[in-house]
Amino acid sequence: MHKYIKVFNVSWQNEFTYRLNFILWRIRNLLRFLMTYFLWSGIFIGQRQIFGYSQEQIITYVFLVLIVQTFVTSAPSQDNIGGEIANGDLSNYLLKPVSYIKYWFTRDLASKLFNLFFAVFEITLLWLIFRPAVFFPAQVLSIAGFFLSVTAAVFINYFLSLVARFVTFWTPENTWGIAFVVLVLIEILGGGIFPLDVLPKPAFFALQLTPFPYLVYFPIAIFVGKVTGLYLIQVLLQSYVWVFMLYWVMMKIWQVGLKVYGSEGR
Amino acid sequence: MKEFKIWLRYTSNSFQQTLSNRTLVAIFITGKTLRIALFLLFLIFLFQGTRGIGGYNRNQIIFFYLSFNFIDTLAQLVFREVYRFRPLVITGELDFVLLKPLNPLIRVLLGGSDVLDLIMLVLIAAATFWFGITHLNTNFPGWILYFLLIANGLMLATAFHIFVLGVGVMTTTVDNLVMIYRDMTSMLRVPVDLYTEPIRAILTFIIPLGIMITFPAKALMGLLSWQMITISVGLAAVLMFLSLKFWSYALKQYSSASS
Repeated sequence: MHKYIKVFNVSWQNEFTYRLNFILWRIRNLLRFLMTYFLWSGIFIGQRQIFGYSQEQIITYVFLVLIVQTFVTSAPSQDNIGGEIANGDLSNYLLKPVSYIKYWFTRDLASKLFNLFFAVFEITLLWLIFRPAVFFPAQVLSIAGFFLSVTAAVFINYFLSLVARFVTFWTPENTWGIAFVVLVLIEILGGGIFPLDVLPKPAFFALQLTPFPYLVYFPIAIFVGKVTGLYLIQVLLQSYVWVFMLYWVMMKIWQVGLKVYGSEGR
Repeated sequence: MKEFKIWLRYTSNSFQQTLSNRTLVAIFITGKTLRIALFLLFLIFLFQGTRGIGGYNRNQIIFFYLSFNFIDTLAQLVFREVYRFRPLVITGELDFVLLKPLNPLIRVLLGGSDVLDLIMLVLIAAATFWFGITHLNTNFPGWILYFLLIANGLMLATAFHIFVLGVGVMTTTVDNLVMIYRDMTSMLRVPVDLYTEPIRAILTFIIPLGIMITFPAKALMGLLSWQMITISVGLAAVLMFLSLKFWSYALKQYSSASS
């Protein structure tokens, strides 16, 4: 455990090293937020409710996306797992008494907390600029469900990104391709731009059979009180089933991948 | 003419390099198509619950989005090499570009068109023109104006990319800056009119991405005044001039680090 705390500290310091890089990355997140915020503001002109959402609920959703997406999907700026497998740098880690998967998860966590820290400032700033009417849940259960759901989302995102990057074991020239497709799917189907229940029921149901809605949409839907009671328990169960399934798939690919890994380039 | 032949050679080399890995080409085309198709689907579903967005109807909003993709992909196709500029500066390899008997701007701005962008451009252009002709009330002069304003938008995009290169020479942070430009353009997936002041004014006159992306579609729909068209052409010419001046200034600051 001690060694991973050290990794966490070093990763935290690393993020401070590339300050301009980090500031520009946060600006990019803000620009995405502005696009979504104004799109929804335009939609609500002359209308009180759309797809069962009031303007307050949607604006709350857009603000929460900035926080949840920051925490769930942010990754270390030097994240290059595919490259390390392709150029043989993975061998350096295999020789050390650390788990490669835990090592990158620790770095992932450091990056998430670092990003979250700054996202809170951004939210405060945006709040002061736009002064939106925001909806907060009254139920403690919704808040507890939200934290459980976000925890599941962090694991789902990490295992999913590892599965996409471990493809490099078989196609070393393809370090980014599958990860790019996964990122696109997360961007749209995760719920970062719109709440997924605006989709027709069959499409929304089909989406629940994929891991994507558990990343951003469901944590926020739980927080704003859209998912309650038995449905809340069902959603939490579904998300943790995805956590264990993806963990199992990721470990299988890792184990088989290590057998074909030839450390080319070293 | 010499510059055009050299550009063709650069482009041919770049295309061959990308096409050498066909699986990767297929994966990226799938990803890029998915991104466009899924957002398009969202816009279509959105109009099942709303009458209009900011005064625009469903077909107009979809056309704005398709037109955004057309202009964005066209700019990416032409200026893809800008995304690879930083390593040239930080390794000092830009020296070799500067030593060649060719305007270095052509090499660093236009030297690496991506075949993936070309494939996407063909698909998006077909979808945009088909949708515009069949779903909007347009006429021939409107289309002429649309293409003229797209050419004007491309001139603005050229100015932005030259500016990014200039900053890259001076600070080596070109990667982030070009991605900020990309994120700002993606704000124009919806018409600039949806943004409230001062963001709308900034996106129209200070960083005129609205002129580059929203104006051609508005002109086609007959929603743009002659005064705004004149302003947009004038602004593009001024920005182009300023960006070239800035590039010359930035090159004088180049210190050939690491070489």
